[in-house]
Amino acid sequence: MSVIKVENLRYRYPRQTELALDGISFTVEPGEFVGIVGPNKAGKSTLCQALVGLVPHFYKGAIGGRVEVAGLDVHATPVAEVSRKAGIVFQSPFTQMSGAKFSVYEEVAFGLERAGIPREEMLRRIEWALRLLGLWELRDRNPFALSGGQMQRLAIASVLVMQPEVLILDEPTSQLDPAGTSEVFAAVTDLCRQGMTVVMAEHKVDRIAARADKVLVLDRGQVLAWGPPGVVFSREGLEGRGVAVPPVTVAARELGWQEPGGTYPVTVEAAVRIGGAALGRDQG
Amino acid sequence: MQNTLYVPGNSWVHRLDPVSKILLTVVGLVLTFVLPGHLLPALLLAAMLVLLGTAGVLRRVWAVFAGVALIAITFFVVQGLVYAGNATPALTLGPLTFYREGLLLGLRLTFRLYNILASTLILILTTRPSDLVESLVRRGLPSRFGYVIIAVLQIIPIMVEAAGRITDAQRSRGMETEGSLWVRMRAFIPLMGPLVTSSLIATEERALALEVRGFASNRKPTFLNDETIPSYAWPVRIAALAVLLLGIAGRVMLS
Repeated sequence: MSVIKVENLRYRYPRQTELALDGISFTVEPGEFVGIVGPNKAGKSTLCQALVGLVPHFYKGAIGGRVEVAGLDVHATPVAEVSRKAGIVFQSPFTQMSGAKFSVYEEVAFGLERAGIPREEMLRRIEWALRLLGLWELRDRNPFALSGGQMQRLAIASVLVMQPEVLILDEPTSQLDPAGTSEVFAAVTDLCRQGMTVVMAEHKVDRIAARADKVLVLDRGQVLAWGPPGVVFSREGLEGRGVAVPPVTVAARELGWQEPGGTYPVTVEAAVRIGGAALGRDQG
Repeated sequence: MQNTLYVPGNSWVHRLDPVSKILLTVVGLVLTFVLPGHLLPALLLAAMLVLLGTAGVLRRVWAVFAGVALIAITFFVVQGLVYAGNATPALTLGPLTFYREGLLLGLRLTFRLYNILASTLILILTTRPSDLVESLVRRGLPSRFGYVIIAVLQIIPIMVEAAGRITDAQRSRGMETEGSLWVRMRAFIPLMGPLVTSSLIATEERALALEVRGFASNRKPTFLNDETIPSYAWPVRIAALAVLLLGIAGRVMLS
C-alpha cells in the first residue's frame, strides 16, 4: 500500500496568476527513496511543502487535487498532526534550530515536548536519533556552535525523533560544503537501509541518481519524467529544459555505452562496468 | 554562542528552583524600596552579596557592579551639588561645593541601584534561562510567550553575527566602515536594509521549521527535564517572606 499518494495536485500561491504545481500525480511505496529534481522554480520546494501540509495551511493560496501521506488527507489535517507522520528538513540548517534550546540534546527534545511524549520515551528516542546521526558525542554542544553539516544532521535528528513514516528533505545540502553534503547523504542512505521512506528534492543529481529508487523530474510545476533514475536520465531533451543530468550519464550517452535495457548508466561504477565490457568487445 | 549572564555551577543557590529564586529577587526588590535610612539598605546589600558569594558568582557580580559605577558616581556628583535640600557644605573641590544632604541622598540612591542589581543577579547568574522559562510554563505561562522570551536571548547574538557578515561583505566591495564616528554612522544605514531583510526571511523559515515540529500542537506539553525542588526550598521561601514582612512592618512602625 502506497505511503504517499498525490493525485492531480494543483496549487497557486496567493496573489499569483501562474500555477506553482500543475497536475502532479505519483505514488511512493514504503521504504522507497524518491529524488525530486528540476531547474529553479520548477516547484520542487512547493511540492515538498505540499507533502507535509505547509501548502496550503501555512502559505494559503488555491489548491486542488489530493495529497495523502501515511493515510492522512494532508489538506484536511493540521500541520502539527501531519508532522507526526511526515517530517521535513529544509535548506538552511541555521534557521531550523528552534533558538530556544541551549544544547544539541535539548534541541532534539523540542518537538517531543510539544507533542506531549512521556519523558522516558523521550530519552529513549533522543539517544536513538543522536546515535543514528552520529551526534551523540556532540550532545552537550550549543546547536549554533556546530558546523553546517552537523547542524543539518541535527535538523534531521530533530525530525526523526518524531518517528515519522516519511522523511522529506528539501535541498538539504544546498548550503553545505562537499564534506557536509557527504555527511547528510551518508545519514540519509543509512536511514533508507533501515526502511525509512525518503523524498528528497536536490540539485546534486549525480548523488540522487546513485541512491534514489525513483526520480521525479519537475519543470514549471509539471511532471516531466517519473521512474527509475536510469530510465529518467536516459530521456532525450532533459538538458534542453534546464534539467541537470549526471555527467557520467551524459558521457556514457556520447560514447554509446548503454545498459542491456537500453538506458545509460547513472553511476561511475555502472559506467566503468559497461564501458569496460564495451571496450573489451571492441578489442576482441 | 550564548547571550546570557548565567554562570554554570552546583551551589545551593544554583540548585534552588527558579520559583524560589524569583521570590528571593522580589523580596530583595521590595525591601530595596521599603527599608529606610542607610544602615538597613547596607545590611540588605551585604546579605545579598553573602548569598551571591555562596553561589560562587561574585566575580561576575563585581563586573556588573563596575559597569554601573559611573551611574553611582553621577548620583553623588549631581545630588551633592544641586539637591534642593542641600544646606551643609561637606567638601569643596575648587569652585565646586558638595553638600552633606545631597551626598547622603546619593549614597541612598547608590544602595538602591546596587540592591536592585544584586537582587536581580541572584536569579540571572544562577538560573539557566531555559530552566526559568520552563518553570514558568509549567505554572501556566503560555508556551508561545515562553518561547519568545528564550528565543530572543539566542537570536540577538545570531543577528550580531549576521551584521558582522554583511559588514564584511560591504567592506570587501570597498565601502568604508571604519574610521571616525561619522564614517561609522554612515556605514550603519546601508547595513540595516540587508540585516532586516535577512532577519525577516530567517524568521519565516524558522516559523516553518517550528510549525512542522509541532509548535502549534494542542497537546499538553511534556518536559525533558524533571523539575527538582530541593528540600530546603520551602524553608528558604518562608525565611524570605518572613524577612519581607519584618521589613514592611518595621517601615510601617517607623512611619
